[in-house]
Amino acid sequence: MAEPNAAIVTRGLAKRYGRQVALDGLDLRVPTATVYGFLGPNGAGKTTTLRILTGLVRPDSGSVELLGRPFGRGERRVLFRVGALIEAPSFYPFLSGRENLRALAAAGGPVPRGRVDEVLDLVSLRDRAGDRVSGYSMGMRQRLGIAAALLNDPALLLLDEPANGLDPAGIVGLRETLRALAAQGRTVLVSSHILSEVEQLADVVGIIARGRLVREGPVAGLLAREGEVRLRVAPDEVATAGAALERLLGAGSVRRADDRGGVWLVARCDPARAADLNRQLAGAGVFASRIEAGATLESLFLELTGSARDGLGGA
Amino acid sequence: MRLFGSHLRRLVRRPATLVTYLLLTGLILLIIVAVAAASQQVADPQSSLAARLILTFPSAWTLTLAMVVAVGGMLALTYGAAIAGAEWSWGTLKTAVARGESRARYTLAAIAGATVLAWAGTLIAYAAGIVGALASAAAVHITSATLIDAQTAGDLAGQLARTALAIAMDVSIGYAIATVARSQLAGIGAGIGLYFGEGIIGIFVPQIVKWAPFAATSAMLGGGTTAVAGAASAASSARLDPDLAVVVVVAWLVLAAGFAAVWTERADING
Repeated sequence: MAEPNAAIVTRGLAKRYGRQVALDGLDLRVPTATVYGFLGPNGAGKTTTLRILTGLVRPDSGSVELLGRPFGRGERRVLFRVGALIEAPSFYPFLSGRENLRALAAAGGPVPRGRVDEVLDLVSLRDRAGDRVSGYSMGMRQRLGIAAALLNDPALLLLDEPANGLDPAGIVGLRETLRALAAQGRTVLVSSHILSEVEQLADVVGIIARGRLVREGPVAGLLAREGEVRLRVAPDEVATAGAALERLLGAGSVRRADDRGGVWLVARCDPARAADLNRQLAGAGVFASRIEAGATLESLFLELTGSARDGLGGA
Repeated sequence: MRLFGSHLRRLVRRPATLVTYLLLTGLILLIIVAVAAASQQVADPQSSLAARLILTFPSAWTLTLAMVVAVGGMLALTYGAAIAGAEWSWGTLKTAVARGESRARYTLAAIAGATVLAWAGTLIAYAAGIVGALASAAAVHITSATLIDAQTAGDLAGQLARTALAIAMDVSIGYAIATVARSQLAGIGAGIGLYFGEGIIGIFVPQIVKWAPFAATSAMLGGGTTAVAGAASAASSARLDPDLAVVVVVAWLVLAAGFAAVWTERADING
């Protein structure tokens, strides 16, 4: 049964590579006409999900709907309306950028005449379009990859780390392009490790860890719901302050986090309630020496995925 | 046709195509120069006579073609392997599949494109070989009564058609091997291994190996067209009837192309 207003729906998606579990029952719902940030630590299953969504890999179980239609073996034509850049952009090194796009245009759905130059303009690559791809920088290859993804004027765009190798101007340009596409009613799914970039770009995020979705929702809503306020209190007032805050927020909503700077109480609540917390402490006769309000997508990501303090390895 | 045309255009631009053409043409010309030199050997009159025969028209037409097929068959195999391996290792197959292209159609179009380019290379090398044979014959003062006669022209048309079939089979087998290997180098290595391995195994079990692709090609073209298979099957006298060999070569061609298409259709594309 197709879900209305959803460009992508996955139900119970599972995939194993030998003994390695890549996806473990992934349920994803990407609303139409939004920019969806798809987040997860290395090995969480993001790229496997994108490969399944583009028909490169078949899931062991579960189902996928793309643009309101079931997608699986024998239903490849729905991809005519999907543009994708998965992992590193792939091109024939001995052909020019323009020739590569023309070669690509011959595969899959029909591409109108003149579209190749349109997308080259869109990614500011027209001046170098006649040069061989083997001479392109990483950023230029990335731009060409984005141009390739836009070739069929897709209703759904799947981009894996699209800002890789782009200079700051390129990143700003990409952000504007993707926002403009969403404003036109297209859906953009961006998988990225640059959380600050996703926070600025995405309307909705989905965070996966160990092959399962751990959170999904609008960025602002998630940050409000999953936000936190950090309050520094004197060590001998921790018990009083903690009890006072739990009376306001509920049992288990406050934890202690010490660092070299002193003792902190971390309250799980909407950062907009920081003043309420301060008032509650004052009412209990405790005065915080410092209050930091507001979670970032990064802190939320690290907490949900268990990546914090894992070093370079991630989860 | 759109996909086939696109494959053709990119293969024409591909350096591996030019390198393969130059290699094949260069090797054929070198062999002809060596044959011309051998024709002047006074110490070994038998070898000299055989060499003079290769440079004598009209028989030079079919003998030169046999040389081109012997060398070109292996190059066609490695060319097919290089094309398939690159599709996997460069990720260009991945990009096409992600655009909704049929994997099987893409594979078959790629094999067809590579086959057309391999045919062109074979014809170019053959033309160069004939020019080389004429020039060498003139240089070593071998005169021919006639350049070509009706009998030779008729034989040549049939041989060229069979050569085209053999080259198509070689490309398909190379493509299929590299599709499984997912790598240019591994595909080329395995292809060459199969080419020579078949001939070596043929020394021990000729009744089985005569059905193998390169032995069947050799039988179809009248023997001696593949480096080892020809020698092995000639030594053992185990050879298919030329007309039956055509059927066997067609079967190997269809099997290899079909296998490549089905394998690509079913594979997870992870790279």
